[in-house]
Amino acid sequence: MSGELQMSSMSDSPVVQCTEVVRTYTRGSTGGLFSRQSGTSVTAVDAVSMAVQRGELVGLAGPSGSGKSTLLHLLAALETPDTGNVAITGMNTSSMGERGRTAIRRDHVGIVFQRFHLLPSLTALQNVALPMIEQGSGKRERRRRAQSLLEDVGLGDRLSHRPAALSGGEQQRVAVARALGGDPDLVIADEPTGELDSTASEAVLDLLADVAADHAVVVASHDPMAIDRMDRVLRLRDGRLTDG
Amino acid sequence: MGKRSSHFGVGVTQTVGRLRTGESRRLLLSVCGVALAVALMISVTGVAVNLAGGSTIQGDDVDYWIVPDGGSVSSVAVSVEGPQLGAVHETTARLQADERVTFATPVELQILQIDTDTTPEYVLAAGVIPPESGERLLGLPTNQLTPGDPHYADGEYTGPWTGEAIVSGAAAEIVGLEQGDTIHPARAGQNQTFTTTAIADGDLSGGVGPVPLIVVHASELQTLTNTARQDSADQILVSTNDPTVESTLAAAYPETQVLTRAGLGGEDLSTSSLPVAVAVAALIATVAIGTLFVATLVGLETIAAREMIAVQGALGISTSSQMVIVFAQTLTIAGLGGFVGTLGGVAGLQVLNVGATIFGSVSQIAAFHPALLAYGPGVAFAIGVLATPYPAWIAARTDQLEVLS
Repeated sequence: MSGELQMSSMSDSPVVQCTEVVRTYTRGSTGGLFSRQSGTSVTAVDAVSMAVQRGELVGLAGPSGSGKSTLLHLLAALETPDTGNVAITGMNTSSMGERGRTAIRRDHVGIVFQRFHLLPSLTALQNVALPMIEQGSGKRERRRRAQSLLEDVGLGDRLSHRPAALSGGEQQRVAVARALGGDPDLVIADEPTGELDSTASEAVLDLLADVAADHAVVVASHDPMAIDRMDRVLRLRDGRLTDG
Repeated sequence: MGKRSSHFGVGVTQTVGRLRTGESRRLLLSVCGVALAVALMISVTGVAVNLAGGSTIQGDDVDYWIVPDGGSVSSVAVSVEGPQLGAVHETTARLQADERVTFATPVELQILQIDTDTTPEYVLAAGVIPPESGERLLGLPTNQLTPGDPHYADGEYTGPWTGEAIVSGAAAEIVGLEQGDTIHPARAGQNQTFTTTAIADGDLSGGVGPVPLIVVHASELQTLTNTARQDSADQILVSTNDPTVESTLAAAYPETQVLTRAGLGGEDLSTSSLPVAVAVAALIATVAIGTLFVATLVGLETIAAREMIAVQGALGISTSSQMVIVFAQTLTIAGLGGFVGTLGGVAGLQVLNVGATIFGSVSQIAAFHPALLAYGPGVAFAIGVLATPYPAWIAARTDQLEVLS
């Protein structure tokens, strides 16, 4: 159903909404000092419209190269579309500069990466508190919230552990806690179970389902087990939504 | 302000954590590089401090120096070619008559060639008027010299030639003298020799070890060196406990300056600007090498950590905040290197002196000064500040999408 606005049945205004979003890359361009040859133009996301509301756990499925990552980047305000609009809590990020989109990510978006990307020299508590610094929270407040979040994800006894001392599943749960540190409206997870065994995957998916109770959550995944847990699944092929 | 300091703290924590766990050899190498550069700088500066401080000719009992104004304050140091004061016996006598003055003496400094059985040797000869009290002058005792200046009689150089000489241990060793030996200055007249009245360990040093020095009567040295015609000398030393005498001393000669003991800083007393040049060269080399070293290695480290930089950006940490983190990392590296290097440099001073004693028979070639303890970290801080732009630039141009995709 590409090109169509796919809305959930919930009546609230969407946390994130894409309207006719197109993103094209140029691959294989070569440039010399005196000449430049343009490469092939590839449309990674083609006229996608979608919306996700608070309380939804939405899956983004599709084969490699289908445009999942690009769509996630657009939803997370990491990049802007060539045409169309992306609005997060009603704010159109398409026309924002890098500084504005960074502020949007800081205040409204939490991101969970496939490979966790925790800072290795910081403890679990410090990793979770890191995004809160940017929001201007005081040290005591950061510590209180980070501790509370880690307790929520079942790691209350791992506060002072560094990532190297945690299992993969524990690291991903720390990453989820970090994503929630900025009290976001939207949580984006890119292959959150990609590096985990089935037990740890289950735990992380349970956690994301809990998170979705009061956030909008979008999960891109190849993992059938993860896709099965979603409230709604958007399937991408060649940059276009095929069904919902 | 709180946000910036918190990000700074994150940068410090990250860097210390990576150093502690040995996660990054590059960072460890950076610290070692800065430490080495700062240690060398401290050691070289210590040598410069010793050069500056050790080249002075001053005794414990002399409070004022009258020196010609033609040169600089370095005239008070070992200098044999600077402008000189004339009619020094008359002027000294006039100053000596002032009841506020304990004693006064001209000081004539000349390099003397001494004939020995083998090769000629050179010593520094100082001509003075020994005081009655036998004060130490130029670090040597004068109580075995006949007080006054017998050869200078009634304004003429016709009085008896005493030939008395106090010889420093260094001069005795070089020339091969023992007490009672005769000293034959080159081109001296038949009766113009000296006798080694006493050999004493003097405290005069020239920065690279004890100065071979002999102290004789002023008029006899003037006669030997043809400076008797103008009755000239390099300076007049005045011992007094009364600071009001300074204006009198200043009026003794036109175009002279009066230096007090308090005004004799190490650098000012240098025979030349060599110590300052050495210290400045060490500073420039350290800052340049340290900055390039830290900038390059922290830059490489930043490239290696660009995934983390991209993640921080994705989490909403602004570019300016990431610059603060990079600044903290660079400053931590430089600061740790500065701290270690300062300690190493101070230890290096001791090693230099021990080495000089063992291999060069010189007691001290480098001197410690408490300011060096602040100097090393201060220079390291400057290195950290100067090295920051390059890794900061690398961090700022990190393409989040390219790294995260």
